Amino acid sequence: MRIEEHPILSFKKGPKVRFTFDGKTYEGYEDEPIAAALHAAGVRTLGHSHKLGRPRGFYCAIGNCSSCLMVVNGEPNVRVCVEKLKDGMVVETQKGKGDLR
Amino acid sequence: MLEKTGIATEQDLAGIMPPKERLAQGPVAVIECFQRIPCNPCYTACKRGAIQEFEDINDRPVIDVDKCNGCGICISNCPGLSIFVIDETYSDTEALVKIPYEFLPLPEEGTFITALDREGKAVCRAKVHKVLNSKAQDKTPVVSLIVPKEFSMVVRCFSIDDFYSDNTIICRCEEITLGQVRELIRKGYRSLDEIKRISRAGMGPCQGRTCRQLIMQEIAAATGVKMGEQRMSTFRPPAKPIKLGALLGGDDHE
Repeated sequence: MRIEEHPILSFKKGPKVRFTFDGKTYEGYEDEPIAAALHAAGVRTLGHSHKLGRPRGFYCAIGNCSSCLMVVNGEPNVRVCVEKLKDGMVVETQKGKGDLR
Repeated sequence: MLEKTGIATEQDLAGIMPPKERLAQGPVAVIECFQRIPCNPCYTACKRGAIQEFEDINDRPVIDVDKCNGCGICISNCPGLSIFVIDETYSDTEALVKIPYEFLPLPEEGTFITALDREGKAVCRAKVHKVLNSKAQDKTPVVSLIVPKEFSMVVRCFSIDDFYSDNTIICRCEEITLGQVRELIRKGYRSLDEIKRISRAGMGPCQGRTCRQLIMQEIAAATGVKMGEQRMSTFRPPAKPIKLGALLGGDDHE
């Protein structure tokens, strides 16, 4: 779901781009946060908590809470709520605390 | 009264309370069985012979508190769910109350529930210490609750409703519940830093951005020290998570 019309805000949209999330192809707009594109596509679970494995969703959306850490183009611990979407990005759910390669 | 309401009165209870000296020695069974009915499984269940043999099967059970070691076998064997084990030696301020519980869902160990008295009124919050539900309990699970000592003879049931929001997670990163924080405050941890160091609340990926305020509110509620007058925990840069590359700067060859 996206907000198309808003009384005070206007949304500049970049061109449509394609990216993959856990192997499936999704569409989003260039330079929007990755999490926004995932949210628009109906992805609600962005990760799981370490201790109890509870699902973690789109929470603070400003890069504070680190609930949305994912592996982007092979790089772990990327906060997808502040990382801009680019064409052809490979986004994966992160399991655990992430390994540096 | 008991015949009308089913709730034991103080008079009823006075006759069956174990003496204070016995309670101070360790766990002991309290048999709250007040009516003459033909029933004796408690006597046959006790392996230590603490529950005296019944002359007449209608007799009420009589327990020798010095022979009882509080093992709790009788709890599940009583069809009337009227036997409890009280352990007032659990800690300086808390007692353990073992309760037969034939409801679903069973509570989870370590969670907080609302403790009820004999009438079903909420008394206090309590933590679930253990849930015994093996073959030996024969479908009468025994739940042990940690309650403040003054309520050891009051708490006789519980509701898994989280009336006090104790199971609400307030540190999302380290998954610390409000109940855990309150428990620490009761134990004497009185500042954000102390709670952080003992529980790890505020040491996860978000570095306390979610729970800091909530923990301070809880300290304020418990101690009366306003949030503005409390000591903050130590802040260390960076204020926001950043990539190491941002600190390195320069070009790729440096």
